[in-house]
Amino acid sequence: MFKRILIITALIIAVSLPAYAELTGENFTLTGSFKNETAMRLKDSLTGLSKLKNMLELAGEYDIKNDDLVFFIKTRYWYDSMYDTRKKYDFAEHYMRHTQRSDWLRDCYIDYTKNQWFLRLGKQQVAWGQADGITILDRVNPVDLSEYWLPDMADLRIPLWMANINYSPKLNSNLQILIIPDFEASTAAPAGAPYAFRSVTAFDNANKLAFHSLQVQNRYPGKQFDNSTFGLQWQDMIGDLTYTLNFLNGYYYNARTVRIGATTLYNRSFKRWRMYGGSINKTFTNPGPMQGVTMRGDFAYYNDEPIYYGNPSIASSSGIKRWDNIFWLIGFDKTFFTNWLASFQFSQYIYQDSKVKDTGITALTQYPFNSYTYGAEDQVENIFTLKISTDFKNERLKPEILWSFTDDNQGRIAPKATYEIKDNTWLTVGMNYFYGSECDSNGQFRDENQVYASLKITF
Amino acid sequence: MKRKVLLVLAMVTLAWGCLFAGELEYFNVYKPKAGMTADEIMQIKYFNKYTLFAEDVSYTGKAYFIDKSGSTRERSTARKRINLGRESDGIAYKDLTVFTGPTQVKGLANLSWTYLDPQKQQDVWLWLPSLKKVRKISASQADDSFLGADFTIEDITTRRFGDETYRLVKEENFTGFTSDFSKKTYYKDTPCYVIEAAPKRANWYYAKRLVWIDKQYGTNIYEEKYDSKGQKFQYIFRWHEIHNVNSKEYPMQMFLEGEDLRSGHRTVIINETVEIDKGLSEEEFTESALSRSRW
Repeated sequence: MFKRILIITALIIAVSLPAYAELTGENFTLTGSFKNETAMRLKDSLTGLSKLKNMLELAGEYDIKNDDLVFFIKTRYWYDSMYDTRKKYDFAEHYMRHTQRSDWLRDCYIDYTKNQWFLRLGKQQVAWGQADGITILDRVNPVDLSEYWLPDMADLRIPLWMANINYSPKLNSNLQILIIPDFEASTAAPAGAPYAFRSVTAFDNANKLAFHSLQVQNRYPGKQFDNSTFGLQWQDMIGDLTYTLNFLNGYYYNARTVRIGATTLYNRSFKRWRMYGGSINKTFTNPGPMQGVTMRGDFAYYNDEPIYYGNPSIASSSGIKRWDNIFWLIGFDKTFFTNWLASFQFSQYIYQDSKVKDTGITALTQYPFNSYTYGAEDQVENIFTLKISTDFKNERLKPEILWSFTDDNQGRIAPKATYEIKDNTWLTVGMNYFYGSECDSNGQFRDENQVYASLKITF
Repeated sequence: MKRKVLLVLAMVTLAWGCLFAGELEYFNVYKPKAGMTADEIMQIKYFNKYTLFAEDVSYTGKAYFIDKSGSTRERSTARKRINLGRESDGIAYKDLTVFTGPTQVKGLANLSWTYLDPQKQQDVWLWLPSLKKVRKISASQADDSFLGADFTIEDITTRRFGDETYRLVKEENFTGFTSDFSKKTYYKDTPCYVIEAAPKRANWYYAKRLVWIDKQYGTNIYEEKYDSKGQKFQYIFRWHEIHNVNSKEYPMQMFLEGEDLRSGHRTVIINETVEIDKGLSEEEFTESALSRSRW
């Protein structure tokens, strides 16, 4: 009901937009872009086209009343022609070739500002935390991993219909309340796609062996207000240190596919969990050896997090456990030599146990899997990222390199460079190099190293 | 005895200098007067540069980046500043810059807080559309380019009175600056002080600047930078428009043109609209306000 009210409110305003726009054109802004993304899989040499995606994006903003009431919408449609040309990927084309379901609507909300109040009602994404590319507190929205973690975070998050209510009781503080009646599951690439997780491929292989007799029963949360996700964030400053306190209570966006007894039925259900946490950020501004260093940190305690466990060598699940886990991160940024920015992050995912304590299954099938990638996990996963970026030619050319890795000798190295050809034409070239064991999150894609280029034209 | 007198004189001079610095109170208008020292003139120049005479200022404008071949890139911006000069938390002023075009950079926003203590670096936050998130960032180094312009960060935002030593070279009528961009000639025959400013930092990216200060308003209208070999490698021109607000004359910087003579790259910044003392709220200069960006 609540979701319907949000949608209807946004639609009424959207329908009335053209009339308003005609009357007061200066209050209406429309922008858009066309983007081509082409990727080549290095292992296939010259024939290795793995993406030929064309994307059209339109965004509009209508200022209804003096910046106090604003409607915003962003839509996106894409088509990946690679699936028309390469039989190898045919099995995944139904999902990967074009925009799915309601993914075309990226944002659709109204903003209302009045004194210390700020409301954002509609389809949107909310980013919590200070970590870059690692979702510790950033769990408000589900994620689309059909291209692994390679796209920008704003493209990875799946927007949800929600009420985002903010109240600022004093300067530099903010209380945010999120009521999210909408639910979408996090998604992953289907078997046959370049970045299909090994577990997805393993399940698909098992289904083929069983002559496609395996049936998956999806059990989504019921459409009741009680099943909404609720979030709370308090933000304030102590001196020049900003901190947040965060709480999230809702359904875990990653389903767990578990076989029901010895049948061919699999149950894919979503579990409720809670997240308690906080974040800090501070730049050392006073003279001294630390001057210019920015420190960032996230901490989260996951209560009743559904953990998939099984045999990592064959990426096969045995079941789920509800564990209390900790995920924390600390990061430092500093600019060197005029315009070279170095950004380092260290994080630890600390599981409640190293293995599930279940005597009914063999020891080999008791290992926890990564929530997203289904890669094998140690009880303490140490994750590092190092990013170095700079610019040349009056910020026209921006190269960077990202190295993310864990203590299991697996990771990804991703150099990239963006060049501004003209105001409205931008070229990006880059590479994604994966290494590590095929059981690990990154290592499972060691045969999917790619080079890519994208050309974006805006208007 | 003679040494004692000199010492006392030096102390009095120093104390007067500090007193003078203290006298430049926010929200007042200061103009140079005959007989002022180079330091006093430069204090007024910095006061005007950072618009400390106003409570708040909002600009919209455009920046043009022009390379040697004539290829031009354009950026549109909306900028706001609130001046505080607040002793309790040491904040001098807060700035918010938002890119409004072209589409590729639309929404990119930068919030900075500058402190009264010149030794203290700025606090800087960035709204990153690709992350849909606010990130506290390490302040850029002073010699880095300002948003891709031919001006450095310190040219625009961080250089303070006291970062250099100053010497009054001469007083002359400015010969005028003819803009390649607007094709207009500005400030022809305007009486100026010419001040040499040498950075206190050793091995800095320039050895000295020659700065032309408008005698009437105390604004920096032109400057040249020289390297350690005495070669001129950059110029910056600034045109100010005088705005009358509540019977006070506010010199507002409306046009900048600069060139890196080594690369032949030029930058032009035009402030198309300016609003002064409109009663901006400090709430607009917070991290949570920045996170409400839509683009």
